[in-house]
Amino acid sequence: MHTHSHKHLEATAILVENLSISFNQQPVLKNVSFEVAKGRLVAILGPNGSGKTTLMRALLGLQPYQQGVIRLFNEPISAHYGNIGYVPQKFAPDKSVPMTVGEFLDIARDRRTPIHRLNESLEEVGLNPVSARAKQMATLSGGQLQRVLIARAIMHHPDLLFLDEPSTGIDIAGEQTLFELIGTLNKKHGMTVIMISHEVNMIAASVDQVLCLNTSLVCSGPPNVALTKDSLTQLYGSDYVASHQHKHV
Amino acid sequence: MLEILSFPFMQRALVTGILIGLLLATLGIFVLMRNMAFFGDGIAHASLAGIALGILTGVAPLPVAIIYAIVVALIIYGLERSTRLSSDTIIGILFTASMALGVVLLAATPGFQPELVSFLFGNILTITFTDIVLIGSFATLILVWLLGWHRHLTYATLDPDSATIAGINTQLHTILLYIALAVSVVLGVKILGIVLISALLIIPAATSSLLTGTFKSFFWISGLLSVVVIVLGLLLSFFIDAPSGATIILVAASVFFLAALGSHLLKRR
Repeated sequence: MHTHSHKHLEATAILVENLSISFNQQPVLKNVSFEVAKGRLVAILGPNGSGKTTLMRALLGLQPYQQGVIRLFNEPISAHYGNIGYVPQKFAPDKSVPMTVGEFLDIARDRRTPIHRLNESLEEVGLNPVSARAKQMATLSGGQLQRVLIARAIMHHPDLLFLDEPSTGIDIAGEQTLFELIGTLNKKHGMTVIMISHEVNMIAASVDQVLCLNTSLVCSGPPNVALTKDSLTQLYGSDYVASHQHKHV
Repeated sequence: MLEILSFPFMQRALVTGILIGLLLATLGIFVLMRNMAFFGDGIAHASLAGIALGILTGVAPLPVAIIYAIVVALIIYGLERSTRLSSDTIIGILFTASMALGVVLLAATPGFQPELVSFLFGNILTITFTDIVLIGSFATLILVWLLGWHRHLTYATLDPDSATIAGINTQLHTILLYIALAVSVVLGVKILGIVLISALLIIPAATSSLLTGTFKSFFWISGLLSVVVIVLGLLLSFFIDAPSGATIILVAASVFFLAALGSHLLKRR
């Protein structure tokens, strides 16, 4: 499936062991353990309130946890700061702050990264660098904003790319293109990609591994193996499975 | 007209006014981006307790007020992170409690306090050479920090999570911003007074945001506008014999409304 070597695929990018997180004594994540190999394209699936965003924030070192271990490439998370791309779920440019796309990207540019990477990353996400850089952040459409956020996340060629519901606010045609783009970035750069999504159908067709979450880990593995009728029932309930059964089980 | 520039009090007022104007206009960008317009007002009013403490103990009020304002700013930062309360609520509590403390301390100070009136409404005649040195030193320190780290501060303001993941110490930059704001607001109190100083934090940045489309010029226009309205306001106050602080704010507000009108008319075309 991937162009990089078998040895690369076996290296562990993310290791999570017995991760538990509670808010006000309410468990949000319970004893979650999994591994992600380097270069994989992984989706975290689960219903609303299942702990997906909390898990992603914990993996990024933004969420303290009561119990467990998280290692990125066998090192603490903070050792990889500067080498992680992140596309947040909610980012709304402030209309009262005048800022062009070029300025927005340049603010996030690490001084070791040459300025031409701005143009390259915009091209990679399918935007015309010259016209895109001059656009006002506050005037971007939902799809354009997602592309700009992805361009910012990949500008430094990170080893790890995290996307929290990247298709939020994008129409169906745009979603398809976005997932194709994420797949291309994963293959082209060998980036390990972790994304949260609600789009079970599209995810099943385009990722290497799924992590099904409903406070605890319900299933983990390649979609065709992990997304069984049982695991989908545990995630979304029997009504959902009955109405979608013909599509992916 | 140029003869007014030969008056030492006017020279001191212009130098401090320009320094404070540049400082507050630059910091005002971050105040606008973080929606914390009430912070400047709160800190300025809270500094009354520091000023009163200085007057009561016979220590120079400005340094005492600076230290007091830094403590209040750090308490605001701490409470914002450790409680569920909104920033405005926390500032509202500290601002009124500090003013109440200031009133109690002043009531305990015997005699009339002419210095107090100048802190409340600003008085360019009271600016001394020592004030210029103090304001110049802090302004240089804060502007150097802003010049060196404005990208990190901007990133931490726009998207704190992404900035943290990029390896930026967002908490440290936020604390430094709160301290810089507290110090700058108190430094400006001598010119505009406790009641009006926050206007210089908000109006130039808000006017600039109406006039430009790029972040770089957002900074430059804000700084330039601030200097222009301060110089114009000071000169105008001299000629019409009006209070300098209030005249500066009226000039700034007029420029803002002109910019708002101009930007509205341009959009309609």
